[in-house]
Amino acid sequence: MGTANKIFNICKLFGNLTVQGSVKTVPLKPFSIVTRSISTSPPLKDLMEFFDQKDKWGGIEVKTGRAWNKEEMRLKSNTDLHKLWYILLKERNMLLTMEQDAKDQVRLFPNPERLDKVEISMENLEAVVRERNKAYHQLETGETGERPGKVTKNAFGLNYYYKMSEYPLPKHMNKKWQQKYRFFKHDKDNEAFLLKYREKLYLNKKRQKARNFNHVIGLLNRFPNMDIAALKQQYPDVDLEKAKRSRKYGGHFVPK
Amino acid sequence: MRFSFTNFARIGKWSQQFGNLPERYIERAMNQVYWKNPKGPQYKPNAVLQRKKFKMGVHRPWTMEFKNENMPKTYSPKIFVEPIREWSYFRGDRVEILVGKDKGKQGIIKTIIQERNWVLVEGLNCKLKNLGKDEKKDFEGVYIQEEQPLLVTTDIALVDPSDLKSTEFEWRFTEAGEKVRVSARSGRIIPIPASVEETIDYKSKSTYREQPKDTTTDVVTEITFEPKLCTFEMDIMEKMGIKEDRVPPKSYWY
Repeated sequence: MGTANKIFNICKLFGNLTVQGSVKTVPLKPFSIVTRSISTSPPLKDLMEFFDQKDKWGGIEVKTGRAWNKEEMRLKSNTDLHKLWYILLKERNMLLTMEQDAKDQVRLFPNPERLDKVEISMENLEAVVRERNKAYHQLETGETGERPGKVTKNAFGLNYYYKMSEYPLPKHMNKKWQQKYRFFKHDKDNEAFLLKYREKLYLNKKRQKARNFNHVIGLLNRFPNMDIAALKQQYPDVDLEKAKRSRKYGGHFVPK
Repeated sequence: MRFSFTNFARIGKWSQQFGNLPERYIERAMNQVYWKNPKGPQYKPNAVLQRKKFKMGVHRPWTMEFKNENMPKTYSPKIFVEPIREWSYFRGDRVEILVGKDKGKQGIIKTIIQERNWVLVEGLNCKLKNLGKDEKKDFEGVYIQEEQPLLVTTDIALVDPSDLKSTEFEWRFTEAGEKVRVSARSGRIIPIPASVEETIDYKSKSTYREQPKDTTTDVVTEITFEPKLCTFEMDIMEKMGIKEDRVPPKSYWY
């Protein structure tokens, strides 16, 4: 924990300096009753919040539970989700820092699946927030309120999803946009490209089909007592009757 | 960046179950991406060169052993795996071994390797493995027993709980609509063991010990949602006392 230790020491040295900006000191009157209000915010740890707790440094295993799922998040109010987002964000930053620190020191980063768990939670949270916003917009305006987009063809003539953006100028006046975005225009070169591209796709498909066919024959030869229903379920496009008629079907022996 | 597994060998549900890892992590740990197209108008989007065929052995895809077995530019011969309609062998099942030197013995399933139709039975069908043999130092090494995989289709049979003898079985529905394995010989239900739930982190979900960073159950199940006619952002702004009365200028979406 080279970097972490350095930052920890610096924080200890300048601890008072860094905190001063955010702490208000109120001069107390003599003989007044001092009551301390309950603080719900987490303790301020400066840059050390980017690192894990000190007892976990250099550990082999850090056990954690699973990610939050959507059903659980749907029970929570908007404020709770807002707070949870920042908890997750801080946790992700901490994990990324620890991962990089482990990499720098050529050490093992314990339980890297923690990162995925946090990211899955964040994705689920975003999905739940979008669900709520969509419901509101559909009730009020009849539209989803999502960022609009459409499936168009790019300069090569391949389909892609174009995400629309907001501009201060209408399309015909926006020269910059016109230069940046070039959509499909039918011409000779494009036609030649697409012909070859589609041929490639077609051949890939055909080869995959042939591969499946041969694989099924291989399976039939190796496992004569196989569950045929399972075979059909796994390879629905292979004609079994045709496969059994193939010369590859059956072993290398003289027929009786 | 994530790449989907669509045309790859997927990791079976029961192989993943004991590891208790998110599927997304397994993908990330397993993937070997050699090249992917940068973003830009001159590149075909999402073009990726990556390993498609993996050797699925006894090692789990997120382990170092698996990575060593699947080093870049190493290829293994094609393996034919018999298709099975439904997986019916679970951790903790008592099975009888039908082949090999432990033929006729009964044991408990320890590990499931669904991609190969394999199971490991605890303490049976073992091989001696030498560890740490060093001829320079004149050290003989240490021998350990290592369970060898068994095919579920031919090498093992489930044990009927009524007479503790091997039997064939089939999946049926009870009157309550529950799906159960029924012994073909005696018609008795072969119960699915409780250790199905077991993972590397806990024996059962109810006995899971909460870790310091886990959110407690009462906090998770507490309902704080109240329906309101506003968007998420409007609600947060209201709660934080942010007022916005500026009118945005006219804009165009395209």
